[in-house]
Amino acid sequence: MLEVRQLEFAYTADEPRMHFELAVAEGEVLSLIGPSGSGKSTLLNLIAGFLEQQGGSILLDGIAIDALPVEARPVSIVFQQYNLFPHLDVHTNVALGIDPALHHSAAQAKAVDGALDRLGLAGLERRKPGELSGGQQQRVALARVLVRRRKILLLDEAFAALGPAQRAEMIGLVRQLVEEQRMAALLVSHQPRDALIASARTAFVSDGRIVTLQDTRRLLDETQLVEVREYLGSI
Amino acid sequence: MNPRALPAGLVLGLLAILVVAPLAGLLSLGGLQLNDPRELQFWHSAYIQRVLVFSLWQALLSTICSVLPAILVARSLALQPVFPLRALLLRLFALPLVVPSVVAVMAMVSVYGAGGWIPLGRSLYGINGILLAHVFFNLPLAVRLLLPYWQAIPRHHWQLAAQLGMNAGQRWRLLEWPALREGLPGVLLLVFMLCLVSFAVVLTLGGGPRSTTLEVAIYQSLRFDFNPSRAVALALLQLALCVVVATLTQRLQRLPEVEIGLDPAPVGIRPVFSTFNLVLIALAAIYVGMPLLSMLIDALSGPWFEVLTETRLWQSIANTLIIGLSAALLSVAAGWFLLRYSASLAFEGRGLAARWIELAGSVVYVVPPLVIGTGMFVLLSSWADVFGWVYPIVIAVNALMGLPFVIRCLGPPMRQNHARYERLCRSLALAGWNRFRYLEWPLLRRPLGLAAGLVAALAMGDLGVIALFGTPESATLSLLIYQQLGAYLVSEATVTALMLLGVCLAAFWLLERGIGGGDRA
Repeated sequence: MLEVRQLEFAYTADEPRMHFELAVAEGEVLSLIGPSGSGKSTLLNLIAGFLEQQGGSILLDGIAIDALPVEARPVSIVFQQYNLFPHLDVHTNVALGIDPALHHSAAQAKAVDGALDRLGLAGLERRKPGELSGGQQQRVALARVLVRRRKILLLDEAFAALGPAQRAEMIGLVRQLVEEQRMAALLVSHQPRDALIASARTAFVSDGRIVTLQDTRRLLDETQLVEVREYLGSI
Repeated sequence: MNPRALPAGLVLGLLAILVVAPLAGLLSLGGLQLNDPRELQFWHSAYIQRVLVFSLWQALLSTICSVLPAILVARSLALQPVFPLRALLLRLFALPLVVPSVVAVMAMVSVYGAGGWIPLGRSLYGINGILLAHVFFNLPLAVRLLLPYWQAIPRHHWQLAAQLGMNAGQRWRLLEWPALREGLPGVLLLVFMLCLVSFAVVLTLGGGPRSTTLEVAIYQSLRFDFNPSRAVALALLQLALCVVVATLTQRLQRLPEVEIGLDPAPVGIRPVFSTFNLVLIALAAIYVGMPLLSMLIDALSGPWFEVLTETRLWQSIANTLIIGLSAALLSVAAGWFLLRYSASLAFEGRGLAARWIELAGSVVYVVPPLVIGTGMFVLLSSWADVFGWVYPIVIAVNALMGLPFVIRCLGPPMRQNHARYERLCRSLALAGWNRFRYLEWPLLRRPLGLAAGLVAALAMGDLGVIALFGTPESATLSLLIYQQLGAYLVSEATVTALMLLGVCLAAFWLLERGIGGGDRA
């Protein structure tokens, strides 16, 4: 289980500190929705180690991971863009997830092939990212997540550039991967519908704090919280 | 601690030594000897006032004559995005970047000298020749710097202007001028600065004391008058002028963040056919192309046998290659370490610190190479044979001169790479050699090759510090040409100039393609 306990952060000394508190179970995808600049991506950056928290802790299965450097954290992250190196082919982009020196055993090479096959990318191994569609590129990024076998998956508006049908398909894939590998996943999206497809529970983030964390359908359909209703445009 | 800080710190330390030590040497000498009546008389003489006024006057005139036509030509090129040979023309406009100044001088002599296509006779030597050569260098540079401002105007704005029925004057006033005025002061000051510190052109085409700039006066004080203290004082005066101009440039500089390249930039405007535009473009092309063509023709019918059988030539070619390639290697390595650190600082949100590091790499804009050379001359002459130090000094100063080019070529793509992939690299533990092999080399080899090629060509064609320190044994091709001109061997000098141009272009091409790779996709 991923736990974020009283995590605090501010970009400058003048602004009030953001404050986060949440827990994500193994095999769960928790969605984070909220207005731009509310702190969703900041939370992901803190968990990944790109930003250093000013208080609180991040735990995986009860063990603190916030002192670990970025590369040592049990985290895979998928961004909206620039997940792939444009000059490397699909196979190499995925293989980098296992060993950045690309010294792979036969079993590891087979694992890369397996991941590509699993994500419907068989036959595209030697293509460059520029020769793939947006959806295929994100599949390659997910294939790398698969071979990395890290316990935490962070998706920072990973599918924002895709159309609704492709987004739904990719989220379906993510759910399968998360359940299979027993990961704890956080999905940041601007589309409430993504949260509905991806997560049983969703957190609404505003002004650097989690305003509410509850059942996704109830949050989207029934909440009386003014901030959420304003965000959803239902006021 | 940021692991990139140490190599960058070492480079900054070396830069500081290379700049501060000669300046300290100059200052320690005390500069002006005011107790010497002859010196006092010199500083009150009309000569020094004339040198100062002429330095500024020729720079101002050269800037006006280069940038004003460049605005018209860049506008014509922007409004005329499709016509035969456009790509070739833009490549021709990039050529002066790698043409050594002494070769340009020979090209000017070939067209405008006695027996040339447009003979100006003796009036070529003086302000006319200086202007012609400076415009040859700076008009194409200004065109290439200004063109992106038109290209940055959004396509929708052009469409809106067309829909609203704006005429050319209204388009200029409401669309083009607002875009252009952002960058124009920076371009004007850059060209002014380049002309202010121009050395080889003034030395060879100045034609005497009436047309002497501070740079040339420093050289004459050291090499002909053997008066280091006067050279020191002149160097300090030059330094003060450069600091003023560089400070202004820095304040006003909004040069476009484009990679200086030889590829034609993309254009996004609907073509508007105009004879006026095409005539302007053709005139600019003739102005830049004609001298090189004329020199080529002159050189091909020159005394090749005499030139090729001279051992000095082969020694000079070897010296040119040693100095050019070593300076390129040193400059690119120094620029790489500085930029890697500044990109990481910028990524961490420390933009100001990053900017200062890049500015430190461009210190040569403030402290001219000849001032550094003079300082080294003074510093070394007290305890060593200065002429024995020619290679390390010339290589180091040329590497320093090349550093701003490296920063300009490599900086934007390096920052972009860092911004795009830093987080991914860190999350994948892609660092050190693996990061270089899989990310930096494939994505940065092209600007790296371009930078190495430019610095090598610049160093090979330099006639500045080598003129101070060069001996017959250590002469480069540039110095050999200067010596041949001094001995009135103009035909021989033309042949040597063509060889120097060939060596520079070959080195540029080999480095750009060799490092940058052949794939231009």
